[in-house]
Amino acid sequence: MSTQSRTALLGNGVRRLTEPRTIAILGIACGILAFWLALPPWTVRSVGGPLAAGFVALACGIAVVPRGERKLGWWAIALGVAGTLGAIWLQTKEAETLDSILTAGVLASTLRFATPLAFAAMGGIFSERSGIVNIGLEGMMLMGAFFGVWGAVWSGTWVVGLLMAMLFGGLLALIHAFFSIHLRADQIVSGFAVNFLALGVTGFLYSSIYPGGIETEVSRVPNVQLDFLYDIPLVGDLLGGVFGWIMFAVVILSYVILFKTPIGLRIRSVGEHPKAADTVGISVYGVRYGAVVTSGVLAALGGAFLSIGFVGTFTENMTSGRGYIALAAVIFGKWLPGWAFAATLLFGFGFALAIPLQREAGISENLISTLPYVLTLVALVGLIGRSIPPAAVGRPYVKG
Amino acid sequence: MADAPLLELRGITKRFPGVVANDHVDFELAKGEVHALLGENGAGKSTLMNILYGLYHPDEGEIRLNGKPLRIDSPRAAIDNGIGMVHQHFMLIPVMSVAENIVLGVEPHSGPFLDLDTAQARVRELSERFGLAVRPEARIDSISVGMQQRVEILKALYRGAEILILDEPTAVLTPQEAEELFAIVRSLQAEGKSIIFISHKLNEVLKIADRITTLRFGKEVATVPREGATQEGLARMMVGREVVLRVEKPPAQPGEPLLVAEDLIVVDDRGLEACRGISLEVRAGEIVGIAGVDGNGQTELIDALTGLRHPASGRIVVGGRDVTDATAREVLDNGMGHIPEDRQLRGLVLDFSLAENLALHDFRKPPDSRFGWLFPRRLVQRARRLLAEFDVRGGGPETPAASLSGGNQQKVVVAREVSRDPRVLLAAQPTRGLDVGAIEFVHRRLVTERDEGRAIVLVSFELEEILSLSDRILVLYEGRIVGEYQPDVSEEELGFAMTGGLENEAA
Amino acid sequence: MADEPRASTGSAVTEWFSTRIGGVLVPVAATALAFLIGGLVVAITGNNPITAYKAIFAGTGLNWFFPWVSGDARADAANDLQQTLILMAPLILTGLAVAFAFRCGLFNIGGQGQYWVGFIAALYVATNLEGTPRPLHVLLAIVAAIVAGGIWGGIAGALKATVGAHEVITTIMLNWIAIFGGTYLYEIGGPLQGPQESIPRSDEVFESAELWPIWGSLPALHAGIFIALFALVVYSVILNRTTLGFEVRAVGFNPEAARYSGISVSKNYFLALAISGAFAGLAGGIDLLGFKFSVDVGDFGTNFIAFTGIAVALLGRTRAVGILFAALLFAALEVGTSTRQLDPEVFEPALAVDLATMIQALVIFFVGAELLIVYIWRARTLLRPGQAAQPELKQ
Repeated sequence: MSTQSRTALLGNGVRRLTEPRTIAILGIACGILAFWLALPPWTVRSVGGPLAAGFVALACGIAVVPRGERKLGWWAIALGVAGTLGAIWLQTKEAETLDSILTAGVLASTLRFATPLAFAAMGGIFSERSGIVNIGLEGMMLMGAFFGVWGAVWSGTWVVGLLMAMLFGGLLALIHAFFSIHLRADQIVSGFAVNFLALGVTGFLYSSIYPGGIETEVSRVPNVQLDFLYDIPLVGDLLGGVFGWIMFAVVILSYVILFKTPIGLRIRSVGEHPKAADTVGISVYGVRYGAVVTSGVLAALGGAFLSIGFVGTFTENMTSGRGYIALAAVIFGKWLPGWAFAATLLFGFGFALAIPLQREAGISENLISTLPYVLTLVALVGLIGRSIPPAAVGRPYVKG
Repeated sequence: MADAPLLELRGITKRFPGVVANDHVDFELAKGEVHALLGENGAGKSTLMNILYGLYHPDEGEIRLNGKPLRIDSPRAAIDNGIGMVHQHFMLIPVMSVAENIVLGVEPHSGPFLDLDTAQARVRELSERFGLAVRPEARIDSISVGMQQRVEILKALYRGAEILILDEPTAVLTPQEAEELFAIVRSLQAEGKSIIFISHKLNEVLKIADRITTLRFGKEVATVPREGATQEGLARMMVGREVVLRVEKPPAQPGEPLLVAEDLIVVDDRGLEACRGISLEVRAGEIVGIAGVDGNGQTELIDALTGLRHPASGRIVVGGRDVTDATAREVLDNGMGHIPEDRQLRGLVLDFSLAENLALHDFRKPPDSRFGWLFPRRLVQRARRLLAEFDVRGGGPETPAASLSGGNQQKVVVAREVSRDPRVLLAAQPTRGLDVGAIEFVHRRLVTERDEGRAIVLVSFELEEILSLSDRILVLYEGRIVGEYQPDVSEEELGFAMTGGLENEAA
Repeated sequence: MADEPRASTGSAVTEWFSTRIGGVLVPVAATALAFLIGGLVVAITGNNPITAYKAIFAGTGLNWFFPWVSGDARADAANDLQQTLILMAPLILTGLAVAFAFRCGLFNIGGQGQYWVGFIAALYVATNLEGTPRPLHVLLAIVAAIVAGGIWGGIAGALKATVGAHEVITTIMLNWIAIFGGTYLYEIGGPLQGPQESIPRSDEVFESAELWPIWGSLPALHAGIFIALFALVVYSVILNRTTLGFEVRAVGFNPEAARYSGISVSKNYFLALAISGAFAGLAGGIDLLGFKFSVDVGDFGTNFIAFTGIAVALLGRTRAVGILFAALLFAALEVGTSTRQLDPEVFEPALAVDLATMIQALVIFFVGAELLIVYIWRARTLLRPGQAAQPELKQ
């Protein structure tokens, strides 16, 4: 009996390996590999390796497209071609140049760019999973950035800064919640107004509280240097700051709460079918208020990272569109915390590349900066068919 | 029934703007009883039950449970008092599992975590006890409608319901599934549960209920025991006059075929074959009814015939012209009229004026417009004529469609489609949610149009409507036409075909 | 964000409301409420709100319309009014860019990107083609702006129409691409940088491509205002008097019903966003040819004119006349709070600019939340016995 089932299991495994889907994913991996081979740490200086990987990708793609795995198959083909061409182009570049672009520093700054995005994206997931579109993440981040500094300056410690950021981010979210839930305003309009309001409020307060700029030293969120981690290259950079740790905890917690607890089940049910939730006695308004305020608190943490986690000061409109990118990451990540986090890393990588590319390869930083946005558009085209939002998102719920 | 009633509703009154939905209604329920609440659409049955379930708050009246007055201001309060409700439109979340749907709101947990294993075990246990055969780990969108209804029943039982409200439970079921439901109701009754059974179907009320209360225009007409009640008597109470169950019509004089479909294969949104080789022919001057349970390919068939969805293979000919690859607009311009399934969602632009709604197809053509230039005044002139001809009440050409009653809205849709002088008229669920007067209007009009020489296709889930209007009946089951009948066929025979009985026999 | 009829929940309430009070009250009440709260903020910072608002008003030039203002005051007012009207023109256009898409059920947040793309296209034409006679050169530059803006909006429209990508996300992305892309073009070493190597700035447009000045000189009010007013008429005519407008409105109210009546929903999504983009692109074009004449890369990140356009469209309730007045209001507010106009002794301009932003945000909130005004109105009627208004829907 047990041997039988084991054989069956083995058979399953083999079958899974030959499934078109698996082959297509293998193809995609090879396509990426083709490009990567020409980069550090490998920096292969011949065309053979990338070409071989590219061909494998192409073959995988061509093999599965007629077998029904259209979308992934085409991705494999496209990546195979693009990866190989990219690798060939990279041959024209000095190995040293590539080394100096793709340093450990790039990975560290990838994470630094991704951190605020990740906080806001997790916030966005909570809100949207409960059925409320939140394009106000940008404004909530901005509130966090300002009140983080304000709290830190006023009290002299970053802890109060963080608390203030969360408090005021949550308050702004409460306004969005009130307008979209109780007043049934268009959620996009309300979210947009939230951004405008935050821009005005933070600018106003900044100009009136610090007319000459912030002159005192701002208490910043410290780095905890865990020696044993710090000694490992990369990991030390990645996990250096308190904020990094909080971020990872938030991503994991978001997943656990949404998918492993009764609260998460309720949040998702309200976002999918509010009336069904209402009829079993769940307070639709209550859950939505909770989720939107949570999203404001998280987004504000992301904003606070920008001000007291990183640069140690505030400038007007310092979030400059990060909230919108976080929103794109939410959609990109199909409203799942893990995937959305991966998307923020991808965006972060795009931003992190801009500076060294300008320095070493002479490519305009501004030109590179368009890359994450172009990437999002391309991704939306490629992925949208599979990206299904919560069924009731954006629709106000009228009780009874 | 000598005991004090388990539940009493006394003098319940609920007003909405412009209507009194419940006008001093009394209702009582004894323990272990199946009590039917009978009435037409809009008679106030659902309102009354929504009040009992805490979704609405009554303006007057009181609710007593076991003789004690009770305030039910939310579904939670209803649940806490042992009242459960199976809504007509299921309150299930399609992307979640059966178990998740059932435990929602009262989740078993270990520490802060959701304990799905326990949930599934409890659901399985409960399902076995009442013989419901529900798989707790299945996703809702992967199970049949009948099964979904059982999930709804389990949801109420899981919360310890002693009183179960079933709101139009057979509306979505096949006759066979309905029989299974009746068996479930009886087993619930045997376990001591009390059941309120809402319906507008006389035969099933007589079959299942111990007592029957009839509502009309929000008022309670009478409560009678099943013994001695007759269909005719109940119908009179329900409608307030003798009901003509059959539409008077002369025999059909079929002419040339105006709509021909050959071997249609149509794929649905999920990429599955919803129509699997449908061939049909509709002639001038006949009404062809397409019977079938919801979800057997009706939507896709209608979409294909009207050019909204291109068939994967097959051929469609309207009035002699091949329109298989034509756009919806070309099909409409080629003499197709379409009364869509849901007038508010698909038939009308509610924020548009009646004039604009009546021009929804023809605004591109003279005299409504020329070279892309629109003449709003001509739209209004036409509307004035049509509103008078079709006796649409409640507004003029400039009134937004949203402010009309359902019956008048449907008249606007019918007026638009008929006035375009189509060769083929496709009516999907044309009387859903209408009151008796409006139903009669629509039925009579369809017969008139038939006699004008149009080919009429009637798609309906209401067997009675199909039987009373059609000259020929086609039965759709799992994307195929499985039988053709004359209108004198019995409901049982049709029901058998609709549930795949013929196919199983053949196999 | 589903493609449900957006108006479905609000329509009955709206209708109940507008039949009783008319559509004018909500915007007026919303504006009043926003200014009231703005006044409170001013008061909290220790200033007198009335003097602050007075000072702001004085800077708008609107007092030019008062017949009793004369002499130097009148000349000053004329100068100020010119600035307000210069700003009003692009605000009308960016407002139309939002409003047109809105009528099709779409939210065009990408006006800023469309504005810049139109601006850059016009700049390219206006800094090349030397020797083209004036009316033609102006025309070519303006057409370039319209086409470029249309394409930028059309990209979002095409993505919506083909793969269903949500226009809010795509237009936001296109904004940033336009902003960073524009910065790249004129940055130091950029491909279109102007003559001075150390300054990240474009060339100046040829005089033959400049719009005609019509009033004043600091800078002068230019002919762009007529273009904007004409665009208002075009907008209204397209929507109400053409089959295209009929289709756009049908899709905006109920895409499903439109589809069932043979209207191509995706075609209209594409067209609506392309036309929206054209309006915004035109705004960029007239700003360039009317008074900016060149661009500094610093401008790209600091211009929010299309975002104000959203407030204009919402406050104007997407009606041509409403947009006209809303654009005037916000243009005046912006000019009145600018550093140049506002006396720092009375109210700090740095604060006033942010106050204007706040007021805009509040206006959007209150106009967007009609129910709030309905609630307030109902609370008033409830005081009269036996006349309980009931806007609630039976659902």
